[in-house]
Amino acid sequence: MRLRQYTLRNLSVPLLLILSAWACAFYITIIREINEETDESLTNHKMLIIKAALADSTLLTDHVDILTQYYIHEIPPAKADLSKDVFFDSTRVVPLEMISIPVRGLRTCFRTSDDKYYELTIITSILEKEDMVRATVIGLAILYFSLVFCILLVIHLVFRKSLHPLYVLFDWLKKYRLGKTNIPLRNETKIEEFHILNEAIEDVVRRNTKLYNMQKQFVENAAHELQTPLAICINKLELMSENPDCTERQLSDIASLHQTLSGIVKMNKSLLLLSRIENRQFPETSRIEMNKLVSGIQENLDEMYEHKHITVTVKNSAQLFTTMNESLASTLLTNLIKNAYIHNCQDGIIQITITAHTLTVANSSNAPRLNASTLFDRYERQSRHKESTGLGLAIVKSIAALYEIQVEYNHDKQLHEFKLTFK
Amino acid sequence: MKILIVEDENSLRDIMVCSLEKERYVVESAADYQGALLKINDYDYDCIVLDIMLPGGNGLLLLEELKKMKKKDSVIIVSAKDSLEDKVKGLDLGADDYLTKPFHLAELNARIKCVLRRKQQDGEMDITIANITMYPDRHAIYIDGNQLILNRKEFDLLYYFVTNPDRLISKTALAESVWGDYIDQADNFDFIYSQVKNLRKKLKAAGALPEIKAVYGFGYKMIYEER
Repeated sequence: MRLRQYTLRNLSVPLLLILSAWACAFYITIIREINEETDESLTNHKMLIIKAALADSTLLTDHVDILTQYYIHEIPPAKADLSKDVFFDSTRVVPLEMISIPVRGLRTCFRTSDDKYYELTIITSILEKEDMVRATVIGLAILYFSLVFCILLVIHLVFRKSLHPLYVLFDWLKKYRLGKTNIPLRNETKIEEFHILNEAIEDVVRRNTKLYNMQKQFVENAAHELQTPLAICINKLELMSENPDCTERQLSDIASLHQTLSGIVKMNKSLLLLSRIENRQFPETSRIEMNKLVSGIQENLDEMYEHKHITVTVKNSAQLFTTMNESLASTLLTNLIKNAYIHNCQDGIIQITITAHTLTVANSSNAPRLNASTLFDRYERQSRHKESTGLGLAIVKSIAALYEIQVEYNHDKQLHEFKLTFK
Repeated sequence: MKILIVEDENSLRDIMVCSLEKERYVVESAADYQGALLKINDYDYDCIVLDIMLPGGNGLLLLEELKKMKKKDSVIIVSAKDSLEDKVKGLDLGADDYLTKPFHLAELNARIKCVLRRKQQDGEMDITIANITMYPDRHAIYIDGNQLILNRKEFDLLYYFVTNPDRLISKTALAESVWGDYIDQADNFDFIYSQVKNLRKKLKAAGALPEIKAVYGFGYKMIYEER
């Protein structure tokens, strides 16, 4: 949800409540005011009528006109209560239009000089409350929507103008890639908060870049410092082995040393690869057709493991394209497919299935179901293979994590299955 | 054939010199940037084995200097940096090959031979040992003039043996050179054993004189006894 929509949503609900409450209060106040005014005018009217009636007894009759009507009739003294004015709401039928309209009335009693008691009822028409309510609601709705619209417009304009530096910053951050050459942030602003934000982000990015470079350098130095002594050891052993005076026993010792050293070299390389992947030192990406890559790797491995007589079936039900670093894609698939060969049994099978979004490698094996929770950890060896560095699946996992590829392990019908799901 | 080795690590330099001298090359060496620059200025070499990280300057600068002098020396870069950028940069600057430390001496030897051959023979490159003649560019092999059909891996294996005759080659070195990156987790080198067995069978059937001899526990050696 954009900040704009969010703000508007948060404003619209309270606004509706406030306007409704205000409308109720407005309505009640107006009605009360009208009643008070009407009552007052009725009281005035009463005084005038009574005064006139007392002076001239011919006026002690009913009177009806458009605005005001009053009725006078005599009542027994016992019923008369001189001290009380009674106000009441009622309706009156307009004879011509055949509709009833609301009216307000005043009922009171008075005594003439000849000790006769009369009851006076004055009726006056008032505003129609229902019309009033309807008008209020319509007015309110119009006010509400125009307010929301105006607020939307204002928010839009204000956000576009005052939050412009924020959006510039977002765009820049979106384009920023650690380890690649980035354009410097150009975001001039007079607003202090944004200025601080700009500086903070630039500072973080600068520090990050520095750390990244330091780590990259460390990894490279570590490689250099270790590779050279290893090269010396390995090459010295090779020179020794070429000495014709070497006995078979010595040669076999040299061979075992040589193999151990080669193991260290491989482990060093694998660890370097892991740190490079985790440091995101493979920024270049390209669009890769996995089907083609799989068939190439599979052909190579097939030749290598010819002696195991493994039957491989590759099922390409769709073309699978993905965007990632080419050498990492190759490393990922090689590690996965090679595992299927290494941990296979003699005369076993491998099934590779490729769909538009998934790649599955399943292999037969004598090993039971593997522990999926630790399978992808470093140095997690679930087999007896002494040549394995124990890093193959850790590399698979870290490459997969880098490109948000899902890796799953399943064991079904005696087949160990690794499934990659691409976004 | 004159070869210059530029490497700052004394032991490694001595080993390389010793190994290449066995191949009857004239080998000279330099330990730093200045020393190497002097030697390059004064002499012509057929091949220069160049370490990138040198005291006194970057090996790539040396390569640039070499190209400025318009010298035709072949250059093989040897580096501990296994980074693609350096590799691409080195080859762009005109290096003929790139080798990552640690390497096997047999591999270095094979690469040097390849570079030298490419330099000497402008046309087709062939390599001959006894009655075996190989044409690596078009993947052809002849024994006594008769073509022998080998699969790709067998061909690569034989090529490695032919470029390193009489040299004991470890199984690791063989595997790495023929299978490259695929090797780093392989089990027991059984596949080397089975591939070499097939190759030997085919060579013998075709009547090749050189023989691939197994050296127990270590690896193999191609020997050719002149009769």
